[in-house]
Amino acid sequence: MVNFTVDQIRGLMDKVTNIRNMSVIAHVDHGKSTLSDSLVAKAGIISSARAGDSRFMDTRADEQERGITIKSTAISMYFELDADQMEDIPDKSAGNGFLINLIDSPGHVDFSSEVTAALRVTDGALVVVDTISGVSVQTETVLRQALTEMIKPVVMINKVDRAMLERQLPKEELYQNFRRVVEDVNVNIATFQAEGIMGDLQVYPDKGTVAFGSGLHAWGFTLRQFAVRYAKKFGTDRQKLMKHLWGDSFFNPKTKKWSSKSSDKTGNYNDRGFNMFALEPIYRIFDATMNERKDEAFAMADKLEIKITSEERELNGKPLLKVLMRKFLPAAEALMEMICIHLPSPKIAQKYRVGGLYEGPLDDVCAQGIANCDPKGPLMLYVSKMVPTSDKGRFYAFGRVFSGTAASGMKVRIQGPNYRPGKKDDLFLKNIQRTVLMMGRTIESIEDCPAGNIIGLVGIDQYLVKSGTLTTDETAHNMRVMKFSVSPVVQVAVEVKNQQDLPKLIEGLKRLSKSDPCVLVQHLPSGEHIVAGAGELHLEICLKDLEEDHAQVPITVSDPVVGYRETVTAESYDNALSKSPNKHNRIFMKAAPLGEELTKLLEEGKITARQDEKARGRQLVEEFNWDPNDSRKIWAFEPENEPANLMIDSTKGVQYMNEIKDHCISGLRWAVSTGPCAEEPLRGIRFNINDVSLHADSIHRGAGQIMPACRRVVYASILMAQPTLQEPIYLVEVQCPEAAMGGVYSVLNRRRGEVIDEEQRPGTTQMTIKGYLPVNESFGFVTALRAETSGQAFPQSVFDHWSIMNGTALEPGKVADLVKEVRIRKGLQPEMHGLEHYYDKL
Amino acid sequence: MKVVALVSGGKDSTYNMVKCVENGHEIIALAHAHPPKSAAHEEMDSFLFQTVGSSAVHAIAECMELPLYIQEIRGSAVTQELDYKLTKDDETEDLFALLSKVKQEHPDVQAVSVGAIFSSYQGNRVQHVCDRLGLQMLAYLWHRDQVELLREMVANGITAVLIKVAALGLGQNDLGKTLEQMEPKLLSLHEQYGIHPCGEGGEFESFTLDCPLFKKRIVVDESEVVTHSDDQLAPVLYLSINKVHLEPK
Repeated sequence: MVNFTVDQIRGLMDKVTNIRNMSVIAHVDHGKSTLSDSLVAKAGIISSARAGDSRFMDTRADEQERGITIKSTAISMYFELDADQMEDIPDKSAGNGFLINLIDSPGHVDFSSEVTAALRVTDGALVVVDTISGVSVQTETVLRQALTEMIKPVVMINKVDRAMLERQLPKEELYQNFRRVVEDVNVNIATFQAEGIMGDLQVYPDKGTVAFGSGLHAWGFTLRQFAVRYAKKFGTDRQKLMKHLWGDSFFNPKTKKWSSKSSDKTGNYNDRGFNMFALEPIYRIFDATMNERKDEAFAMADKLEIKITSEERELNGKPLLKVLMRKFLPAAEALMEMICIHLPSPKIAQKYRVGGLYEGPLDDVCAQGIANCDPKGPLMLYVSKMVPTSDKGRFYAFGRVFSGTAASGMKVRIQGPNYRPGKKDDLFLKNIQRTVLMMGRTIESIEDCPAGNIIGLVGIDQYLVKSGTLTTDETAHNMRVMKFSVSPVVQVAVEVKNQQDLPKLIEGLKRLSKSDPCVLVQHLPSGEHIVAGAGELHLEICLKDLEEDHAQVPITVSDPVVGYRETVTAESYDNALSKSPNKHNRIFMKAAPLGEELTKLLEEGKITARQDEKARGRQLVEEFNWDPNDSRKIWAFEPENEPANLMIDSTKGVQYMNEIKDHCISGLRWAVSTGPCAEEPLRGIRFNINDVSLHADSIHRGAGQIMPACRRVVYASILMAQPTLQEPIYLVEVQCPEAAMGGVYSVLNRRRGEVIDEEQRPGTTQMTIKGYLPVNESFGFVTALRAETSGQAFPQSVFDHWSIMNGTALEPGKVADLVKEVRIRKGLQPEMHGLEHYYDKL
Repeated sequence: MKVVALVSGGKDSTYNMVKCVENGHEIIALAHAHPPKSAAHEEMDSFLFQTVGSSAVHAIAECMELPLYIQEIRGSAVTQELDYKLTKDDETEDLFALLSKVKQEHPDVQAVSVGAIFSSYQGNRVQHVCDRLGLQMLAYLWHRDQVELLREMVANGITAVLIKVAALGLGQNDLGKTLEQMEPKLLSLHEQYGIHPCGEGGEFESFTLDCPLFKKRIVVDESEVVTHSDDQLAPVLYLSINKVHLEPK
């Protein structure tokens, strides 16, 4: 039932002011996909009769079965605004037809990386929130991600029908409920918003940036629609009226005057504008249809100019309600209008996003191309994820053109995340075989794709691991790597049941790694193959895909284990010393804890290598009491993608220091990925190079000498600084009835969990309990919780922080035991090397 | 010119001799600085000399049927600057003593063959000694491209085996391998980590078993691996050559 042609869409793709790239994001089960389906219905991809129960956006069989979204899905839609609506668009547009590229993304926290990949290619987000459960942990996570990516949010408060039918909330209570949700969303926006650049991002019902409705029943509204309706009726100004429809604005039916008080001097009751003008007609339709007063309902329909067919007149109860509401307040209409009016076009968005998107200088030709969304600029295309094709083992590279035009057959530079300008690493020069539009379950070939549009590419999948930059300009820097809010902290080892299947497993693992933005695949020297994911559910899906699709061989899976981090708890008690293999160069170093606060700032990208050195130095001196000299001589932020350790040149007056800088950084890079205790990554350590003595001749201090020496001295300095492990901790949010709380507490207690907050949903007996749970104790948590609470408690766990473990790896105890356990699992010798292994004598 | 060749046993000193002959010079004697008998290990981490393989250098002289002059290394790297100034107890003075001895025995010697490629540190010291003795330094490998040079040595019949590794990416499995066997790995380590393909800067040492100038070839009968310092990525290991014999070619 496609009612627009690819040619029509292609025409629109050139009118960049009329494009809206947007994601639909929400907590799991708040009704995103259903809502997206109703939008798709409007744009004509599937017949509107089936909207609400077809899950068009869930393309996989298991998604349809489980009723959850696992992979994000993109769809292009077309929508026309009327002259009235066009007036409200703040920026210039080319005609009244709009191309909306919508990406539906998973709500379960385990799949947050899919959300990140979706957000990268969009400029706006429709945040869906359940009226009853309100802002939940995943709502916060996705909002934070959206704001980090400089994505403008609008909100849909969903499942209003349930609040009315199941809970029978009176109007004022429903209003208060809405108000609370809007406030909660705005508190989050205020907390996470990047400063300045984008202006006020909070959402306001009276400005039309919040919609209310039911995705399932396909109805919804913004206050703009009621304002338009009443403005016509009363002949007043639409904008002024809209202000009265939200907040403490009350209408006196007798005097026909607005007031800020709910009662006048004579004690007469004034009705809240929202309740009277928006909720009243809805409540009346609900009341009449659900109580089988059909005549009254039809009379209302007439008054509201709703046309009802004779077949529909035969309906009763809910189906009738659905029809009436859908015709009275079509959700797609309200949402499409909100999206077109309030979300930015690529032309507007890329102007402020360029600084966050591009790694290179903002005045170079590529940055300019992005900022101006210039279809004639150099090609800058970011591939944010890989989508499996029907062809086994091949993928569409899915991404967005930010500058230039991507065309079939075009030769491009494919720059992976490790590419550095001027170098040849992680760089391929290949042709794009085909460009395709991705529309839910189908794809359509398209000749080319100009800046500002989302696109699928055929033929470059084998040159990129997961994501990367495509460009035609040799001087182009990379587009910035995406920051994921989830970490692959849960891991399993996989094996083939039949040894001859091993090559298929290896190939399958490669494909798995490509198909999921977050999953981490490692091959250990011991011959073990490790798959790491964000949580149990994520791993379960990955392993199912691995066995059934990617490898297609029977596999066995070990019990899940968690990844740790290695850190230090004190400063090295003396300078560590290591020599280069030829013994002609020496490095003296001390390790010290960076502190959790600073480490977090590094991980969140708030203190970075790219910052202005002086400003960064000042911050380190003022907020973290750093030595001013140290603060200006930070050599390395490692690991590169998510820095959590620093190396500082604290030497004084040493010759040739700059010549060995790169080698030292490479040595550190090596060391941070596998620490000296359990070969787990390093985190939260500051390494100070205090002195070096170098061979006078550069040929004797090449990379082959300095890299291993630096790595050794990093290890030695750690072993002299009370090394220990950090374990990952989940933030869990459990929703349950009051009566089930005891069970929740006891399950958490048994698993070293800690409750940090409990809150009752106003007006209900539903409790929301928040707590910390070590990831290591989380396996089987969901099952245990269900058992203990007769299935009444629903948890969501998301990685929250690293927690330092008590004790050190060097003295007998829990940490040492854990180190040994991990080493044995990795096939290393059980005992870690002692200091003498890394520390060289003078 | 009549030339005395400084030999460590390694590929570079041998190949430079080949180059000397190619250029019309006549090698009349070999000279070698060896670790003191009292030294606990053959590897003494000298800044100037290759000491591993020293025990078998006599075999090279036998293969070439030339006299070998030896000198014990008594000094150390007292002056570690790039340029050398006459310094008491510096190991450079052992080299001076060695070449003085040769000059005394062969007053007609005019030049010194040395296998230095990129080490200015070593080049400067040999030059210093040569200047003091009125000898010319012949270093045909000086500043040659290492990748090209490695290929050339293999192509020109230098059969040398690795006897010490001391750089990122090299390990026990590489000891005893010939240059020809090692070439692909050395080139890839060069690409990956910037390892010097000819082992300049002490990244690896070799011992020559055969070359076009040899009348016989050397066979190692007995050797053992000595761990100098252990490390997962860049262990320092060497082969101590205990027994060799010569074979006709």
